Amino acid sequence: MPEGLLSELTILDLTEGAAGPFCTKLFADYGARVIKVERPGRGDPARRVGPFPQSPNRDAGVLFLYLNTGKESITLDLTTATGRRLLLDLVEHADALVEGFAPGHLQRLGLGIEALHGRHPRLIVTSVTAFGQTGPYAGYRWADITSFAAGGQMAVCGDPDREPLMTAGHQAAYQAGIHAFGATLAGLYSVGVIEIGQHIDISAMECMTSTMELALTDYAYRKTDVLTKRRGNIFSAAVGVYPCADGYLGVHIMPRNFASFARIMGAEWMLEDERFRTARSRLLHNDEIAARTYAWAAGVTKAEAYRRAGEERCTITPVFTVPEVLAEPHLQARRSFRELEDPRARKLSFPGPPFRPGEGEWELRPAPRLGEHNTAVYGELLGLERRDLVRLRAAGAI
Amino acid sequence: MERWPLLGVRVLDLSKVWAGPYGTRLLGDMGAEVIKVEGPGAWDMIRALTLLNHTSERGYNKSSYFNHYNRNKYGCALDLSHPKGRELALRLVALSDIVIENFRSDVLSGLDFTYETLRSVRPDIILISMPSHGLSGPEAHHIAYGTHIEQLGGLVSLNGYPDGPPQRSGISYGDPLAGATAAAAVIAALLYRRWTGQGQHIEVAQWEAFLSFVGEFFLEYSLTGSLPPRRGNRHSSMAPHGAYPCQGDDSWVAIAVGSDAEFAALCHVIGRLELAQDERFADVVSRHRNQDELDAIVSAWTRERPHREAAAQLQGAGVSAAPVLTVPELMADSHLAERGFWEEVAHREAGVWTMDGPAWRFDRTPAHVRLPAPCFGEHNDYVFRELLGLSEDEVAELEREGITSREPLPGQDE
Repeated sequence: MPEGLLSELTILDLTEGAAGPFCTKLFADYGARVIKVERPGRGDPARRVGPFPQSPNRDAGVLFLYLNTGKESITLDLTTATGRRLLLDLVEHADALVEGFAPGHLQRLGLGIEALHGRHPRLIVTSVTAFGQTGPYAGYRWADITSFAAGGQMAVCGDPDREPLMTAGHQAAYQAGIHAFGATLAGLYSVGVIEIGQHIDISAMECMTSTMELALTDYAYRKTDVLTKRRGNIFSAAVGVYPCADGYLGVHIMPRNFASFARIMGAEWMLEDERFRTARSRLLHNDEIAARTYAWAAGVTKAEAYRRAGEERCTITPVFTVPEVLAEPHLQARRSFRELEDPRARKLSFPGPPFRPGEGEWELRPAPRLGEHNTAVYGELLGLERRDLVRLRAAGAI
Repeated sequence: MERWPLLGVRVLDLSKVWAGPYGTRLLGDMGAEVIKVEGPGAWDMIRALTLLNHTSERGYNKSSYFNHYNRNKYGCALDLSHPKGRELALRLVALSDIVIENFRSDVLSGLDFTYETLRSVRPDIILISMPSHGLSGPEAHHIAYGTHIEQLGGLVSLNGYPDGPPQRSGISYGDPLAGATAAAAVIAALLYRRWTGQGQHIEVAQWEAFLSFVGEFFLEYSLTGSLPPRRGNRHSSMAPHGAYPCQGDDSWVAIAVGSDAEFAALCHVIGRLELAQDERFADVVSRHRNQDELDAIVSAWTRERPHREAAAQLQGAGVSAAPVLTVPELMADSHLAERGFWEEVAHREAGVWTMDGPAWRFDRTPAHVRLPAPCFGEHNDYVFRELLGLSEDEVAELEREGITSREPLPGQDE
């Protein structure tokens, strides 16, 4: 019986930065053996994104420590013939290979899909990039903000009279990463159906365009652009972020939530008022509802509003800060965060499992030092001995 | 014959609104047979989100939101709260590989439709539950939409202009993340079942799923006790980095410059070679320190040209740049068009229009929109007669008893 949900799998990880590593982190935390291939000497540039733990060995900052949990790191220079040969040897031991190079890069190295499948016909190869493998933008350089721009999500975020906004963190990369994870799993499942591997092309732009909600679906269908523009924090009276006594509250009131919302605001009279009786009439009296909501929110704390929302089963939540999320009693009770003793830092708080399997475990293990698993991987999988590794290192291949 | 990765997998989809339906759309795109079950009175409320004139006939079949996110699915109407409806649903479970739901946390047990019950009729069933706050814990009774999930998860507090309040993302961002996470969980569980023969119950608490998308901030805070300030489109180290105004009304180009080489390339493109030698911009640190001046210089250049042209010139020189595309621009975009991203879909009642195709691109099993979204109760006959083997009279009796129907009951749109 496998211990981890995905312990049966071996993934060869040729990705750097955030998108591909997020995908392969999910594999690793669910128990897959993920072998991260890094450039000798420098490794994944994400290692150099701070802040850094106070440690004499500043091998990696928090972004890398977060995105590479549970992986094994080997060094391998794919620009050398020996490095390419070693990679193809490793491919034989993998179920999937995930890569995020500029389209055509692996092909130019002689490691294109044909070469990989030539060595292992049942291999799933997932390419995760900003714009995909084909099309006029295929060769464009990737940054999170440019994916936000091209994917459409930036145009709907921010105030109408100011510049459009990207959201915080690495949201474009992670959206591509979660889709690459699901798609790679689907590919691995398909091998059992069609008895052959295949190539999966994930474009961050397309993942983001797929989730444009009403802005896209309404325009596509009705060809009006009323919902395609950014509207700041108040999309409509019923959907918005309102200032409250000690911060901000998020309100999202669909027709079925209006009665409980009126009760929480102490405005039961609205339920008897013709102006607010139906979804359509409320739309016509949007500004009156917004004014009422502003006035109510200003006098209530986040905690009080959230408690009342729970009692009334209404859809109102606080805008939590990061320390508030970490201290949240519900998440504490559920152990939604896990502390990990990293050799480089005392204790770091990590998000727990994004989904909780009933069978097969999820486990957090520290991110690797650069090349930490050279001996284990090259020894176990390829049968190389210490003197072989010394020779390869001297030749700059690993 | 066409082949798809999940061909032969049957999904009983009890989910509604967006998080669950986005996940089951991904499964349907991959070839799974997804059967969406709605109650005659408890139908998917997104059907009411039509923005059509209220005189539009059978508007509940014409919601673009519903029809985009429920394509590649069948649909049937069945009242799970009626004992006969529940029994029929259990017979469907026996024929299914997956059951997926995003009800409030107490609904499934209220219907006596728990994992134990499902397993008694289908021992290797995979049940995916995706309540917003999870199935247990002191706040399990709370409910939330996708906009709330990004607020609960901390992202909204981090978003925003440097001088402004927290900022919402502009979409119900928690939903597609939870949906994509749930779809991945389904396929992981299918693989696990292939290896072990075992099904399982997987809990996707949408709030928890979201935490992984802002994970590095929790590490950072636990390490340093502090967080980066809200900085809009600016970056912790790169400059220039932002959205710059272009020719035309509300038109922008996003630009991100990291290395000295990229900066030199930018200077070349904007015809300001001398800036690459300017000590104010000599390295990453100086550029970041003097980014207000840099932004003014870059904006002066971008203002004179259309956003696509600016982006193409910069990318041509090796600088990360992209136009900020609006929805109409996306739908006319040459890159997406050349990749065949848009598909024309004909719906029985809603007509013909263009929607985004599957975002998971497989070279040997390419996916497409095979089925438009179901009209309400459209596949009642397929489900009750073909799959369950009921007679025409038995189905008519179910309709008389209100256990199934061909029209939704009013109420959810008020």
